[in-house]
Amino acid sequence: MIFTFFRYEVKRSIARRKIIVLAFFTLLIGTVPYIGLANLHHALSLIPTSDYPYLWVAGVFLPQGLFIQFTAILIAAGAMSEEYEQGTAELLLSKPVTKAEYFLGKFFGGYSLIAFIILLNMVLGVVSATITFGQQASLSVLPGVFLAQAYAALLFFTVAFMIGELIRRSSLSYIFSAALFFTSTIFGLYLTVIYTLTGDVFYKHIQLYIPSSPIASLPLLYVNGSLPSGVASLLSSIEGLAGGSVESSIPFSILLISIYFAAAFIVAFVFFELSDVSRKVS
Amino acid sequence: MRPTSGSVRIRGLDPVSEHRSALVNVGYSPELPNIQTFLTPKELLALTAEELIIPKSEVSREIKATLEIVGLTEYTNVRVSKLSKGMVQRLSIAQALIGSPDLLVMDEPMIGLDPAGAAHFRDVFRRIAKERGGTIFLSSHIMSEVESLCTSVCMIHRGRMLFNGSIEETIGNVLGSTFLIVEADPVENCLNSIRTIPGVEEIRKENDRTLELKVKPGKDVRPDIAEAVIRSGAKLFSLNYSEDLLERTYLEALKKGTNF
Repeated sequence: MIFTFFRYEVKRSIARRKIIVLAFFTLLIGTVPYIGLANLHHALSLIPTSDYPYLWVAGVFLPQGLFIQFTAILIAAGAMSEEYEQGTAELLLSKPVTKAEYFLGKFFGGYSLIAFIILLNMVLGVVSATITFGQQASLSVLPGVFLAQAYAALLFFTVAFMIGELIRRSSLSYIFSAALFFTSTIFGLYLTVIYTLTGDVFYKHIQLYIPSSPIASLPLLYVNGSLPSGVASLLSSIEGLAGGSVESSIPFSILLISIYFAAAFIVAFVFFELSDVSRKVS
Repeated sequence: MRPTSGSVRIRGLDPVSEHRSALVNVGYSPELPNIQTFLTPKELLALTAEELIIPKSEVSREIKATLEIVGLTEYTNVRVSKLSKGMVQRLSIAQALIGSPDLLVMDEPMIGLDPAGAAHFRDVFRRIAKERGGTIFLSSHIMSEVESLCTSVCMIHRGRMLFNGSIEETIGNVLGSTFLIVEADPVENCLNSIRTIPGVEEIRKENDRTLELKVKPGKDVRPDIAEAVIRSGAKLFSLNYSEDLLERTYLEALKKGTNF
């Protein structure tokens, strides 16, 4: 029965056309930077030719910090709340199905879409880099990068899913979830700046625990050893822009994501189990 | 929805703690047919069939038969967003009927239906009750609808049950009488002879050729009245029980403010 709701959620998201718009933007993000770079000869001269086989990282990692997270929020925040607003949850749950089946099906259905967006972005990035800069190297890390990015996206996906369930209003859920994400990202940037200026490790420690840190760190930490130093520093700059921290470790990042995920998931599930599924008129 | 007090049992099962087993063979059509607009009737019924765990080999046949019952065969593959309000209401009833449940909970099922559609569904409900021997809970504010379809009635006002029982019983208990409408011409000719019929308590002249008779419940006095009218030399056009008896019962119960 979980799979029934899984498929239903995928279909619902596609019907809302958000996913199509997001896939279109993924296409733009995955291809336009390469087309631009290939045509801007001045910018191209700044990149050493030895780094050309690693330029796939730009397409794969650039959207990770902001675009992918925001996409996750867009998909998750409406997954439950839209059903309440439209009154459609009542009908689905009036059948001999459990709330847990409905909840899990919708959660994983929505999550599969964000995983698809990550995969699409990755494929487009690599293909575009290959077309514009020739054969790409170290592609064997891609499956691991995919898993790391998908796992990282779980954090804000679950938080937005929880907010959607608690508030049960789609537009408010989008605003709250996005505000939480951007606040965390901007706060992380501030803390990085303060730490760099003052050298006080207290700020660095706080930064390590905020939710935007592990999601930025995990995929980068995974590929760090596999790339030339020039490419790795380019990635660090991207990561810095996203307000995260690489001065962490893979296990710590996984643990932190897991804690945030588990907390948000449990709160959403318990709230859903204990509350009525009545129609909310927006 | 969790109960604030009291309890409900479906075949002895608690629909809150034993949700899945209690809702097997239960069809529900909500008051507002909030159906996912991106689905087609066929897709919605297929989704419902999956929820009901109807064997895959039977799904197509079930969908076809159900859409035929509700008169939506032509719209099998049309998106819900393109259907009229009445069609969506039909679809809402269809998703309740699929899988042949023996207990139907229909919340205002006639809302949005045209007169032909409402008449069609009255027939459908009667047929289901007769052929399947199941129970249909019909929630409605249209008293004539309830009176023409239901065998038992339960009236609720502000969360309080005013009465519960068979329609005849309820009307008798609350009103203490029943009402007959006599259409005859000239109506004056038969007034005196009707007044003498045992069981007739009161006569009210509605217009030049219509009388409303208040009669004691229990005994059917219609043959006596028909005879009296004809003997008086008047022409008898119609002789029926009043169609708004349930509405009168409800208003009377509200006025008295006690349980029956």
